[in-house]
Amino acid sequence: MENVTKINKDVSVVAYYFRNSGERLRCFPKRIEWAGKRVDFTEAGLRHPTKKGQRMVHVFDMSDGQADYRLEFDAERLTWTLVSIADISYAETRSSLAAAH
Amino acid sequence: MPKHVAALQLPINPASPQVMHIDLNSCFAMVEQQARPSLRGRPVGVTNRKTKNACVVAASYEAKRAGVKVGMGFSEARLHAPDLILVETDPPKYHYVYQKLVNIMKSYSPDVHMKSIDEGIINFAGTGKLNTRSLQAIGYEIKARLKDDIGKYMTCNVGIAPNRFLAKTAAGLNKPDGLDTIDAGNLRSTLSGLQLTDLTGIARANEARLNAAGIYTCLQFLDAPSDLLARRVFKSVCGEDWYQRLRGWEVDDYESTVKTVGRQYVMDEWQPSEEVLRARLSYLCETTAMKLRYKNMAARGVIVYLMYANGDHWYERRVFNQPFFSNSDVLTRASLLFNRRPRDDWVRMMSVSCYNLVPSNMGQISLLEEVNREVWLTEAVDQINKQFGEFTITFATSLPAKGLVKQKIPFGSTRYFELLCNSS
Repeated sequence: MENVTKINKDVSVVAYYFRNSGERLRCFPKRIEWAGKRVDFTEAGLRHPTKKGQRMVHVFDMSDGQADYRLEFDAERLTWTLVSIADISYAETRSSLAAAH
Repeated sequence: MPKHVAALQLPINPASPQVMHIDLNSCFAMVEQQARPSLRGRPVGVTNRKTKNACVVAASYEAKRAGVKVGMGFSEARLHAPDLILVETDPPKYHYVYQKLVNIMKSYSPDVHMKSIDEGIINFAGTGKLNTRSLQAIGYEIKARLKDDIGKYMTCNVGIAPNRFLAKTAAGLNKPDGLDTIDAGNLRSTLSGLQLTDLTGIARANEARLNAAGIYTCLQFLDAPSDLLARRVFKSVCGEDWYQRLRGWEVDDYESTVKTVGRQYVMDEWQPSEEVLRARLSYLCETTAMKLRYKNMAARGVIVYLMYANGDHWYERRVFNQPFFSNSDVLTRASLLFNRRPRDDWVRMMSVSCYNLVPSNMGQISLLEEVNREVWLTEAVDQINKQFGEFTITFATSLPAKGLVKQKIPFGSTRYFELLCNSS
């Protein structure tokens, strides 16, 4: 089982990058800052829209090479929320410990 | 061609293949691996509930190689793949990929039919003037567009054949990321490399039926006369359908209609109390009624089905005079039946279904004031729930189950996908 930490905090996206995806130019977060921490993303996994009631929310699954970050952009309130961080290394440590025993 | 004439003696369909079957590889697991780069190359299992007793609804190819199968319990799956990573289903993500796939497919032909969330069929018949390239070239282009539009980890199988069945068979020949064609020229050689159970629709029971008639290979199945299949093997018109299907003639292009609407739930507690059961029942009734209204239908019948810890099961059904559609209507009627259940053992699974479906008459103003009030109240509640999210207004009795009973991913059809995404 991997270690998923729920954050659900507003974050500042301080840098963006653009990617030509299909017919459109798509915008992705490049760097976020929250609670004195800074994360630089190295890869975008998937960006998909979803709805919360009538509000449109864009979900970004991003990676910094170490962990996976789930960000939500509220298209109505224009806010970014860091929803969760999933850290795969936790699972690796546990399975290697289990193998050692 | 009329079926009673066609079933007598048909050659292998000599027409050029015009049907393309597209199947996303291990769809949910692959979408999760696309979304989260750290999962790529690792055994991943997707489940509806992240608990010890959860079952794997989709497994990545890495997990499948380790022996994990769809439907396997988490504990058993971990025995096969100790480093299996279990992730919960995320319907909006799959809905996005589904929409992208549909858009890509519809850009080639208006005749597109989605078989489920992860597979669909494009019929190219009549599009010769628009699509001048070969279907193989189009198939490779679809693969490339899937990577461009969604992500570079996305792959799909493409099968091309004269009918839907052979196109699906072709799509399964070289997994993952294959592209194969079956036509009159290579049908026999392709079938010679397959076992009977490799064919969609032939599982153990049908295999036993075929074996009893002396049919052990796909080629023997292909060469079997329609009379033998219809009278001795399948003992129904299904035999003639198989005769035509294997020869590349189309018999599967029919639209099925909705006969029942329902929900089921495997209990989250080993010894559920009366209050727990009532809460789950209330929630199931609410979501069943939502599904009914989503399809613009009303029902006249209700079935309540229970499975007990000792393996016994019980059900009761009843047809009512007037059609119903509101949450409270379904709950009242289901509760009537639920109250009559045997109470000898713990309930493990419960299901509520509505049948005898008729078109909804919610738009029709009634002469009876109380009927109108019920319609207006239902519409108002639906409107509020649509505006502020599903279950903003809900039964107080459903509240304990609200966070526990989750909408599952529909495998068989995409009828309720929009509804599922709204409520997830």
